[in-house]
Parts: sequence; C-alpha cells; structure tokens
Amino acid sequence: MPAIRTRGYHSGLVDLTSGLISREIFVNEEIYAQEQERVFARSWLFVGHESQIPNPGDFFSSRMGEESVIMCRDRAGAVHVFLNSCRHRGMKVCRYDDGNAAVFTCPYHGWSYGTDGALVGVPFFREAYRSELDRSKYGLIEVAQLCCYKGMVWATWDAAAPPFLEYLGEFRRFLDLILDGWDGREGQAEVLGGVQKWVIPCNWKFPAENFSGDTYHNISHRSVDLVGAGPSGRSRRDYGELNAARKLHVAIPDRGHQTITYVTPKDHVAQGAYQNSPEVAEYFRECEEQRRKRPGAISRLIGAPGEIFPNVALLPRQPRTLAVWHPVSAHQTEVWRFFFVDRDAPRAVKNFLRDYYIRYSGPAGMTEQDDMENWNYAHAASRGVVARRYPYTYEMGMGHAVENWEWEGYRMPGRVVDLTQAQASEEPMRNLYRRWAEFMDAESWDELMPWRNGAAAEAAKAAE
Amino acid sequence: MAEWGSGGGSEGGGMSGIVNVRDLPVGARVVLGSGVEVEIVSNPGDGVWVFGRYLSAANGDPATVGTEEMIFAQDVVEVRG
Repeated sequence: MPAIRTRGYHSGLVDLTSGLISREIFVNEEIYAQEQERVFARSWLFVGHESQIPNPGDFFSSRMGEESVIMCRDRAGAVHVFLNSCRHRGMKVCRYDDGNAAVFTCPYHGWSYGTDGALVGVPFFREAYRSELDRSKYGLIEVAQLCCYKGMVWATWDAAAPPFLEYLGEFRRFLDLILDGWDGREGQAEVLGGVQKWVIPCNWKFPAENFSGDTYHNISHRSVDLVGAGPSGRSRRDYGELNAARKLHVAIPDRGHQTITYVTPKDHVAQGAYQNSPEVAEYFRECEEQRRKRPGAISRLIGAPGEIFPNVALLPRQPRTLAVWHPVSAHQTEVWRFFFVDRDAPRAVKNFLRDYYIRYSGPAGMTEQDDMENWNYAHAASRGVVARRYPYTYEMGMGHAVENWEWEGYRMPGRVVDLTQAQASEEPMRNLYRRWAEFMDAESWDELMPWRNGAAAEAAKAAE
Repeated sequence: MAEWGSGGGSEGGGMSGIVNVRDLPVGARVVLGSGVEVEIVSNPGDGVWVFGRYLSAANGDPATVGTEEMIFAQDVVEVRG
C-alpha cells in the first residue's frame, strides 16, 4: 500500500499530521473555483440510472459538478452523456427534467442535435452559411469516458482518468449492495419514483463528510429514534442482526472512498424485519434466504452510509438510496436524492418502501432534516473572518486504523477501524480530505494513481 | 431582438398568418420561401424543425427531388394540404 500523505493542499489547510483542517476549504470562494477544475472536471461522477431512460429517445437532464448534462439513449439504444449547451451560443438545448425526443433543438437560433449528439439542423445552412459550415465539428460535447455499471451511468470529462471500476477499486462491493437484488442477483435495482432535488445553504463537503461515515452525530437524530420512524415503528431502521455484527469504518486510502459497514458472523441467520407489514416481511425473508444460497453473493456485509469520492453518498440499506451533492457555489449545494428498489419486487413492497424512504430521507425526511440543520448552521457559523482562524479538528482515533482486518474468515480491504466498542472515529473524514487535497495538488491523473506505480514497480521487480 | 414582419400569408397559419409547424401532420404538403414544395415525413413537434421530402427541385438541382431534409420552421410559408 502506498505511503499516506499527511500534509497536503496549501500546507496547513489540510494537515493530517495534526488532524486539523482549515475552515477555508469550506467557505473560500477561490478554493471552490479551483475545485471545479481540479476535482469535478477530473473525477468520475454519477449521472443517472439506465432505468430512467429505457427507450430510444428517452432523456434525463442531470448535472456533473456545475455543468448541466443530458443523459439520453439514442435511436440505436446506446447511452450518451452530453454537455447541455449549444455549440453556437451556449443556450441549453434541453430544458426539461426528463422525457423523450427525436432531436434536441436550441430555442435561441434553432440549431438541432440528434440523440447521438450529431448536429443535424442548422437554420439557413445553404443561404446564410453558404453550405460552408462543417457541421461534423459542432456536435454536442460528449463526456470523455462513460461507464454503465449494473444500470448506473457514470461519466468523467477527463480522458486520462482510469476506467471507472479501477477508480472505484475495492469499494465496488459496497456499491454492489445498492445495485444487486436483495436476493443476490446482479444489477436488479431500479430507480423508484422521481428524483428529489433541493438546495441547501452549505458547502458540498459538509454532506460529503457526514455520509463518509459520521457515527458521532447520532445524537442529532435522537428525536427520530424516539418517534420510531423505522419500518417496524421502532428506532430508525430494522437492524436486529447488527447486535451480533462487527461495526466498522472502512477507508480506501488511494481512492478516497469510505463507509460504515457491518460484518455478520459466519453462520448468522437473518432476523425478521418489516414486521408491521406481513407481505413486505415475507418478501425480504425470502430474498435473504435466496441470497445466502447464491454462490458469490455478498451475504455477510450489511451496507450503511458511505461516500464515493467526491460527491456521491450511498446508503445501501434502510433506506436504499443514493445522494449527489452538486456544487452550486462555495455556500450552496443542490442535493439530488435517488431511491432504489428491486425491479421485480411486488407493488405493495415498492409502495411500502417508498413511504418509508421519504419518511427518512429527502427534504421532508425526518433524518435528513436533522442533518441539514447541522450542515447549514455549521457553514454559516464558519464564514466570518474570526471563525475562519480556527480549524476543525479531525483527531478522533488517529493512528488506530488497521490494514488486513479479518474476522471469522472475512477479510476487509483498506484501512479499518472497529467501531463495535469505539462507537466512532474520524478515519473516514481524514480519508476524504486526504484525497481531496491530492486532487487539489495534482497536475494530472498520473499523480493520482499511486496504485499503478506500485503495480509497475512490482512488475519491474518480478522481471528482474 | 426579434425580426418583425417575416411571416408570409398562408393557409394553416394562426392569427398571425405564420405557419405553426407543430400542427403539420405527416403527409402534409408545404411550400418553402424559395417556392420549393415539400411533403412532411415526420414531425418531432418542437415547433422549430420538421422532416420533409422534396417534391420539386431545391436550388434548381433536380437530384434533390425525392430526397429528405430537415426543414426549418421559418422556411415554411404555405400549407397546401
């Protein structure tokens, strides 16, 4: 494993030797502007899910960082992601959230593009342009790389970025917990209903940090626990089996992804859940049984909040959801929350889960409201000239993460902190900001792929 | 800034006399500003473009008859049915 950087971007702003991180990285507008180029124009970003565009001509308007993009399926069935901006004067060529179209026509001067991005219509092409314009040069700008992974659509503007699955690294198993069916079949998820979208007055890194695995803030959700918003009317979730599991922080240092997760005992039998709804309870009982029988299925991991660098938060279980923290400014973030469900689940199960999901998450979700209060007020209280002098501390549990963690035959990748007794650590947050600092420092992807250097060195050594 | 008075008199137009291409059905025959006649072969309904087949020569080129092209709304000046 490569050496871990402890002092990064603009020495002193991210100092992982002391565990101190300056408030400037959250509230400084110049740093925010640099992030757009250094982080968002180079990273793999989540765009949408193929279940949102099942038919030729279907489109979904999404975002990559500050950029508006169109995710669409062309007439031949191929998925594309384009910058939503006309090549003539930059007007948005698509102003709908989603729909089906044969062409995207700019309302300003009428340039028109096919669903494969080709410029197919230029008004007065013969008369005004004298047929001299090379239309093949002015198709919609397409992302440099696109990856459809188990229905999810990811893209990057950087041709030099590693392929998506390499970018994801060992974190893939945690993403699979959302995308695979509850019964263990691969890629069975679909987006349930629409996407919830709303704007919050804080920097995008506040929610990104929180979903990296902040177990320390659970006191914020005490009222939700007391109300019993969970699917069986107790606590927040049905998590009976967690009493027998090991609770972990897992951080993948050279990728910047991190999560909370639970590992159940080797021969553990799933406990009942969703007891207030017999049909839902039976569905999940059957799925659990099938999953444990299926070869290769992930049967001992239970998903919990995690973050894929830079701005995608996943919550694989209860509720099964994914959020994207789109940067709007240093002081504003647009949140998009997608909810997932097994596509083959009975309608009654989908309806039950939808009600539970939006009771928990989203702008009206009881738990997300608690979180937003924290992020929004923390941001506002960190903007003043005096407040900015005092860094945040991320010292909790420093030096206590281990590698090669193993329990009852299950080996976990990355750096691991066992939270079963410790309850909390800030290892995931340090991992997030370490990677963030690396991106802000690096001139190219060559500097951001230490694992390739390691592989090259090992190959050279083997050759000797 | 908009250009004024560019609409030609035509059948099938609204109160302004301008042809609303969104209403053109497949099979409709229209006349372009150049006098060329075109048959509508598909209409995406965006009010800006329709797909048409030339029934008479465009730009004086007989080879264009029968070929299909995207037709810009402002080029359509008359609907012949």
